[in-house]
Amino acid sequence: MTTPAEHLRYTTDHEWVDVRGATIRLGITDYAQDALGDVVYVASPTIGAVVTPGDSLGEIESTKSVSAIYAPVSGTVVAVNSQLAGQPDLINSDPFGEGWICELELSEPDQVATLLTEAAYCAITTS
Amino acid sequence: MTGTSSTESPMQHTPLYDSHVRLGAKMAEFGGWSMPIAYPTGTIAEHLACRSDAVMFDVSHLGTVRVAGARAFEQLQSALSNDLRKIGPGRAQYTHLLDEADGSVLDDIIVWWVDDDVFDVMPNASNTDRVVAAIGGRDTTSGRAVIAVQGPNAHAQLAELCPAAADVGRFRVQRVIWQGNELMVAGTGYTGERGVEIAVPAGAAERLWDELAAAGVMPAGLGARDTLRLEAGLPLHGHELGPGITPLQAGLGWVIGWNKPSFRGREALAREQAAGIQRRLVGIATQGRRPPREHSDVRVDGQTIGSVTSGNYSPTLEHGIALAFVPPEVVLGQAVTIDVRGSDLPGTVTATSFLP
Repeated sequence: MTTPAEHLRYTTDHEWVDVRGATIRLGITDYAQDALGDVVYVASPTIGAVVTPGDSLGEIESTKSVSAIYAPVSGTVVAVNSQLAGQPDLINSDPFGEGWICELELSEPDQVATLLTEAAYCAITTS
Repeated sequence: MTGTSSTESPMQHTPLYDSHVRLGAKMAEFGGWSMPIAYPTGTIAEHLACRSDAVMFDVSHLGTVRVAGARAFEQLQSALSNDLRKIGPGRAQYTHLLDEADGSVLDDIIVWWVDDDVFDVMPNASNTDRVVAAIGGRDTTSGRAVIAVQGPNAHAQLAELCPAAADVGRFRVQRVIWQGNELMVAGTGYTGERGVEIAVPAGAAERLWDELAAAGVMPAGLGARDTLRLEAGLPLHGHELGPGITPLQAGLGWVIGWNKPSFRGREALAREQAAGIQRRLVGIATQGRRPPREHSDVRVDGQTIGSVTSGNYSPTLEHGIALAFVPPEVVLGQAVTIDVRGSDLPGTVTATSFLP
C-alpha cells in the first residue's frame, strides 16, 4: 500500500488531495476506507461537472454503508478513475494510489491553502 | 414487561470477545452486544469462504432459554406457531412467537428439542426477555457461547477435532462430549450452506474457536452473516419480520401449525388467511454492482408499489439483491426499479432465495 506522502493535503471528510499545478487528484484516506469496509460500488463524478467546495462528487458504497464524495475545492472534473467501475476494491487495497477517484481542474487555486496538512489531518484521526 | 434498552446498559461481551479483539476484528454494537462485524480478511472474503470452504461465526448474542419439565412441550405448543409434533426429541425446528392481536412476528426462533422434556429455545439477541415472558423457562445465555460453523467443508473440518459433532445432520440436535465438556450441537445455520451451530460452555469456548481456526475454519463477522443470509433469502427480524408483518406475508406459511387447535396468534392469522394477504415478500435482482438499500421505494412504471426491507451487493452473484414487500399480484419476472437516492436502479422480481 502507498503511504500518504507529505505533499498531500486532506479534508475533514477524510479525503486526500494531491496538488499537481493547476489540477488536483483526490481520493479517500486509508482511515476512511478502513472505516467503510469492503467497497463494492463507486458512483463516479461526470467529466465536465463544475463543482464548488462541499458539492457531491459521487458516492462510495461498501457492504455496510454509503458515503458521499465531496468536492474539496472549486473546479471542473477533468478525469475519473475508470478502473473503479470493475474494481471498486482498489479503494481498499490502494487508497492513495490505484484507488484514486477523480481529477479537478482548479478554478480557484488559492483554495488549496485552506486544506489540512498531513499533521493536522493525523491529529483528527488520532483524537 | 419492563425490559431495558441497549443504550441504558453497557454493551455485553460474549465469551469470545477477547479472541475477536486479538484477531483485529472491527467491533460494533448489535442487539446490546459488542460483536465482530468483520475481521481484517473483510466481509467479501469471509462471505466467499463460506460459499466455497468453511467459516465460523460467534453467535453467542442469540439467546438460549432452557424450558424443561413435564409441561414444557405444552408450553411451547401453545406459545409458538409451528407444530412440534412434526419433529421429535433430537431435532430442531424454526418457529415464530406471534402477536395475539394481529399475528405479526414478535420473534423468530429456533427450538432445539434436546430430550423428551428438555428444550433449548433460541430467540434473537434483543428479544430474549420477551420470549421468557411468553413461554417461561430459564435464560442460560450467559453460561455458554454459540459458534456457527458453516460452509461446504464445515463438517469435514469440524471432524478433525470433534468427529461426533461433525456427524450431526441437518436439523438434528445432539449432545456431544468434547475434551470433557458437554457441547450441544445442532445442524442449523443462517447462511444457506451446510453446517452446525455449537453451544459450548463459556470456559471452553475460546479453545474450541482456536482449534477450529487451526483446522482451517476462517472467522467471519456479522457483516458476512448478513450478506449470506440475504443471498439465501432468510428473513432478519426487524427487517422482513417484525411489528405489522405476519408469517403469511413473509412467505413462511410453513411455520404455522394449522393442525394445532390453538396457539398464540392463530385467530389473527386465520382472519388474514381468509381475507387474503395485502403484501408479500419477494426477491429483487438488480443490474450492476450498486447495492439497493432498506426503505428504498420499489416502482413499476414510476408508481411506488413497495419497499425494500434488506438490500446489498451479492458477493456470489456480483450484482445487487434485495428483499422487498410488494402487492400479492406482482409476478416473478416483473421489471421494477428501485429508487436509490433519486436515481433508478433497474431490477427484476425473483424468488426470495437468490442461490441456485
